[in-house]
Amino acid sequence: MPTPLDLIKKKRAEAVNRVVGRGFLATKRVYVGMATCEIAAGSKDVMDVFQKAISRGLTDIYLSQKGCAGRCNLEPTVEVIEAGKSPVKYGKVDTEKAQQIIERHLKKGQVIQEWVID
Amino acid sequence: MTATYRIIVCDGTACINSGARKLTTLLKEHLDKHGLTENVTIGLSGCLGMCDKGPIMVVNPGYTIYGGLTEADIPEIVEEHLVKGQPIARLAIQEDHLYNRFFRVFGDAKFFGHQMRITLRNCGIIDPESIDDYLSLRGYEALAKAITDMTPDQVVAEVESSGLRGRGGAGFSTGMKWKFTAAQEATTKYVICNADEGDPGAFMDRSAIEGDPHTIVEGMAIAGYAIGASKGIVYIRAEYPLAIQRITKAIEDARAHGLLGDNVLGSDFSFDIEIRLGAGAFVCGEETALIHSIEGARGMPRPRPPYPSVSGLFGQPTLINNVETWANIPVIILDGANWFKTVGTETSKGTKVFALAGKVVNTGLIEVPMGTTLREIIYDIGGGIPDGKCFKAVQTGGPSGGCLPEEYLDTAIDYDSLAKAGSIMGSGGMIVIDEDSCMVDIAKFFLEFTQNESCGKCTPCREGTKRMLEILTRITEGKGQEGDIEKLERLGNMIKKSSLCGLGQSAPNPVLSTIKNFRAEYEEHIREGKCRAKACTNLLTYEITDKCVGCGACRRVCPVAAISGSPKKEHVIDQEKCVKCGMCFNTCKFDAIAKV
Repeated sequence: MPTPLDLIKKKRAEAVNRVVGRGFLATKRVYVGMATCEIAAGSKDVMDVFQKAISRGLTDIYLSQKGCAGRCNLEPTVEVIEAGKSPVKYGKVDTEKAQQIIERHLKKGQVIQEWVID
Repeated sequence: MTATYRIIVCDGTACINSGARKLTTLLKEHLDKHGLTENVTIGLSGCLGMCDKGPIMVVNPGYTIYGGLTEADIPEIVEEHLVKGQPIARLAIQEDHLYNRFFRVFGDAKFFGHQMRITLRNCGIIDPESIDDYLSLRGYEALAKAITDMTPDQVVAEVESSGLRGRGGAGFSTGMKWKFTAAQEATTKYVICNADEGDPGAFMDRSAIEGDPHTIVEGMAIAGYAIGASKGIVYIRAEYPLAIQRITKAIEDARAHGLLGDNVLGSDFSFDIEIRLGAGAFVCGEETALIHSIEGARGMPRPRPPYPSVSGLFGQPTLINNVETWANIPVIILDGANWFKTVGTETSKGTKVFALAGKVVNTGLIEVPMGTTLREIIYDIGGGIPDGKCFKAVQTGGPSGGCLPEEYLDTAIDYDSLAKAGSIMGSGGMIVIDEDSCMVDIAKFFLEFTQNESCGKCTPCREGTKRMLEILTRITEGKGQEGDIEKLERLGNMIKKSSLCGLGQSAPNPVLSTIKNFRAEYEEHIREGKCRAKACTNLLTYEITDKCVGCGACRRVCPVAAISGSPKKEHVIDQEKCVKCGMCFNTCKFDAIAKV
């Protein structure tokens, strides 16, 4: 009879598999803030831009929503995480900036320094 | 080209004591020697919680954590890791703790680097609507560990030993609360999550639930196991629709995974959670009023004892904790009470979340170890006061708290030090006030709120706050009388002593603390009819100065036609007609309207 601890470890392994199956190991992971405060600042539109880009053929991207990280006056925030590189945190992202992030950062690998939260 | 690195050195007390700052100096020398100063930036962080392994350095990209460093290790790190790009396995430490998980993503930004996150550890790094994301980060392992390896008594003992105190505001020992409820013999017991967040400007609980709802579910289930309860209720206000949606989904997903419901994870333990919506009355955050509200009665408090741990919801033993308290529980169980105790001060362990707002450059939600000073929060994390203005006060604890002036900036904050200074920890509101704000006006703002939210059951709170508000209003209107300050003090202390619940007992705090720390401002309003911050409109007049170019913008915007003047000539305000609405002041582009 497996113990609850055995069971949860199995569940974790299955969960990790499912997350990987959803594309977690893509070269770049993009997180868009989707708490009430982020949405009020316009993050739904930003999310739309990324979703559309993916549906139109942008590949090797894992797109996820996230809760509020706490950086209120710079919302909406978007993070781009890539293995072997420092995580990049963008602040005050609107649809125009999201488009630029896709073109310059996601496609060409150029970090847009002036929008980075540091 | 050499790769760019960002090194974060832990600047917590333990690491400083074991020589971290000396290592930083040495590191800079070696970087200089190798001509790497341009490629490597060095930042400092707050305590990273790995005090027994200090000094700690984190190298990004790659998030390599080096621990137990000595001066001899520095040249090696520079030459092997930073020059050749080979992390040094011998010095690296592997950590899989729950706390501070956010640091990997956010730690290199200054605003985040000085924080330590226990309760908000997953906020901003996982999809809150995905139980898979939560499970991947050791989610529900604390619950499984409790059921598998610990007896209910051991869980209670672990929470008690951690020193955790209630994060809703009063700071009562969480472990004691659990112990009292566990000790009761009853067929039914309840576990309640108090998510009735109502302080103006506070959003800690909303963000925690919206960012990581499973933590709350897991914490409550652990409590159910520990105290012998099989029913949990989340009491959350209806005006948080997204938080409600996410916690509802979390509960459903947990149920589908066998983490809630009958026989949790195949054990004998059964526990389920339902949601109850609050209509948004501030007093329903008080535990007995909250219980009445769930029972379907009017949300009013009752005298204690009996405490809810003895006779709570439907007369049964009930354990009520705040959202933030619940979020600590999985960490205490997995990372251990012994680790938890190392964070914080003598009497207040762990971290506290604050909603940092007001006149501060970086507003936001922050979590810092107990014992952090107000100065560190406002200047290191908050980035100081904007527009070159001067700091005047910081208001903690929302409408139940007080205003602390500059001399308290270096107070290490915990439950006791804030109480001693005349304010309270409260649930975590923190509003920074600059020289442009009038302290009487601020006290009036908070009292207006509590007066409005008073449920009316007990006379001191219902009548007393009303009378205090009348006095405050007349002071801000320039009609204050000699003796008003003393009257406010006498009434305030009386209300504090004789009110039934926490709402009334704390309602006078904003007034009493501003009188204590800013008495001169009250006196100026009463005796000289003067508001130094020029915030009380009844005590000032608007005048047009010689900067006026005669553009006519103020004349057109004035709702009572009090401004006259010909084009390109200096305009004048008729003080008889002026209603002091401030429209002209806000409209003028030439800074030609003065508050006098």
